[in-house]
Amino acid sequence: MRGMRDFLTVFKNSFKYCWSDRMGIVMLLAFPILIIFVLGNALSGYISPEYDFEEGEKIGIAVISETNSEHNALGTFLKEINIINVIYTDNLTALELLEDGEVNIIVGTDLSVTRPPVGNLSTQIAMSVVDSYSQISAAMETAIKNGENPAELMPLIESNISVVESPLGNRVPGAIDYYAVTMLVMILMFAGTNGLNVFEKGLFSQTGARTLTTPVSKPALIGGLLAAATVTAYIQGMITFLFSWAVYGVYWGERIHLVLLTLFGVTLFSQVFAIFMILLLKSPNAAMGGMQCIIWVMTFVAGGYVKIDFGEMNNVFQYSPNSLAHTVIFGSIFGGNETKMMSDLALLFVYSAVLFILAFLLGKRRISK
Amino acid sequence: MIVTMTDVVKRYKNQTALDHLNLTVKQGEVIGLLGPNGAGKSTSIRVLTGLTNADAGKVTLFGADKLGNDAKRRIGTVPQDLALYETLSARDNIEYFGKLYGVHGSMLKSRVDETLEILGLSDVANKAPKKFSGGMKRRLNIGCAIIHKPELLILDEPTVGIDPQSRNHILDFVTNINKQGTTVLYTSHYMEEVERVCSRVCIMDEGRVIADGGVAELTRSVIFEETVTLEVKEPAPSLPESIKKVQGVLHCDVQNRIVTVTSTAASGNIARILEIAAPYVILGVSAKKATLEDAFLALTGKKLRDGEGDSL
Repeated sequence: MRGMRDFLTVFKNSFKYCWSDRMGIVMLLAFPILIIFVLGNALSGYISPEYDFEEGEKIGIAVISETNSEHNALGTFLKEINIINVIYTDNLTALELLEDGEVNIIVGTDLSVTRPPVGNLSTQIAMSVVDSYSQISAAMETAIKNGENPAELMPLIESNISVVESPLGNRVPGAIDYYAVTMLVMILMFAGTNGLNVFEKGLFSQTGARTLTTPVSKPALIGGLLAAATVTAYIQGMITFLFSWAVYGVYWGERIHLVLLTLFGVTLFSQVFAIFMILLLKSPNAAMGGMQCIIWVMTFVAGGYVKIDFGEMNNVFQYSPNSLAHTVIFGSIFGGNETKMMSDLALLFVYSAVLFILAFLLGKRRISK
Repeated sequence: MIVTMTDVVKRYKNQTALDHLNLTVKQGEVIGLLGPNGAGKSTSIRVLTGLTNADAGKVTLFGADKLGNDAKRRIGTVPQDLALYETLSARDNIEYFGKLYGVHGSMLKSRVDETLEILGLSDVANKAPKKFSGGMKRRLNIGCAIIHKPELLILDEPTVGIDPQSRNHILDFVTNINKQGTTVLYTSHYMEEVERVCSRVCIMDEGRVIADGGVAELTRSVIFEETVTLEVKEPAPSLPESIKKVQGVLHCDVQNRIVTVTSTAASGNIARILEIAAPYVILGVSAKKATLEDAFLALTGKKLRDGEGDSL
């Protein structure tokens, strides 16, 4: 009872504090809206011209061609989707096509996907389509093993194709649809640096020291600060989300709840990451520097804004929080693999839980001792 | 005793901030902690308030060995630096700390109003302290520590960098709150503040208490001499010899028309000296009594205000 009361007291006060700096709030809200507009319109052609998705163009998928029935099935599936152009080729040629931007992804014999270091909307759609096929393929395999009729899965196949095509049927998706997702994820990750200010004020400043001389418990204090920083950042994200939808006309798909949950997962992660960093490094400035570096790397690698090929490390980066969020959001819009989407979403929350436990353990030892 | 610190040791890397510190605070008193920079005053407060742990020794607060929530509720701490939410209103700041100390509902509201009134901040209750003067911020800094009516109020240099009017306000407040039963632990660089508000003084140096007592008692125990200077119109050669015969006089020198008489402290012989000098027409008299500052200098060999702040 007392702990909950303290938690609410800290939460309310910190939330009020977050919103009391009006100039800061205007900057926080205006910056993301502006950056999505600039990247999605004025600068899109300069950032990744060779991968722009324009009206009349098709999304190229290179399928490594061998006498493999599964790939015939993949080809059949892909051909059902009007905007996909399937190219059967060998591995070397496929890599050249990817390098030249002729195809957006390569699908290997084991259904593994090779994507360019620089991503964009076309790449995300292509990956979602292949993910979707993997899901259907697995479902069919299970149905056959269980002695069921695979034809009963036709509605699922049709549904997946329709999800991929439906947003594209209304209008041609542009760079802004891609950047709205990737930038919003990036902005929510960077909101963690704003959270640092809340944690610094509440734990490490003179005000924080004074707070620690009161009978407030550390879990209530840390929890209240975290909740205030998270809710503030999420509101900021929601305003950007609504603005992008209502003003820029960004398409967020039919499963808005999944998109919002994913955005919440990113927000929570960024704030827990902030409190972990500040407790680990015991210095707000060092934590700020560390966070900026890590978030920039995750953003640029996962978002694919720069051409850096990390080789084998590319596979590791697909587990970055940004990349997990992209998979879930693009998958929910364009019909990705449901299982992978759910596991990626769960992983995002697992990251937050693990970091929070570590932060809590660090906090017990390090706050004002 | 409200506070007992016994042989408390605190080290920061190679530096010893508290070196077997022994300190007691009795209920109802205003105790002043005096010391040069690095003496350990602020570290003592950090240990008392649980912001840092002592490496050795024993600290007892309100009879308990451990600083639990019960003890925390009975203490109010005014840190040396401003510890406020600068963009929230004065009322919000006081309310927040009031709630953390367990004051809620209608009592919280009345206590906030009362606190603002006591500190002369009622007119600016809904304004953010970032727009306040230094003195107003200092008063608000105090307000956040007294909202729950603590039994022990710890003030760490509460008047640094403020105007004389605000300083007077704070010193009057300390005197008044003590009259209402609050025990006060007060650290300051300003000797006159300590002399004005404290009933007992502990002089600290290099992490230890080197003198403890009332202001007069401390001065007497350390300063053994006091000086009277007379200006006389026509001093006769026999005058110094006559004065030297007065009880308590140690030296008497005459240069031109200035007669300087040094006596043992508290000898009470000024009247007799004036009586002897009166026939020679006294033009002026000045007496320099020993002060706490002299006692401090004698004890520590350091001036008190050789810099601002106290890093330890």
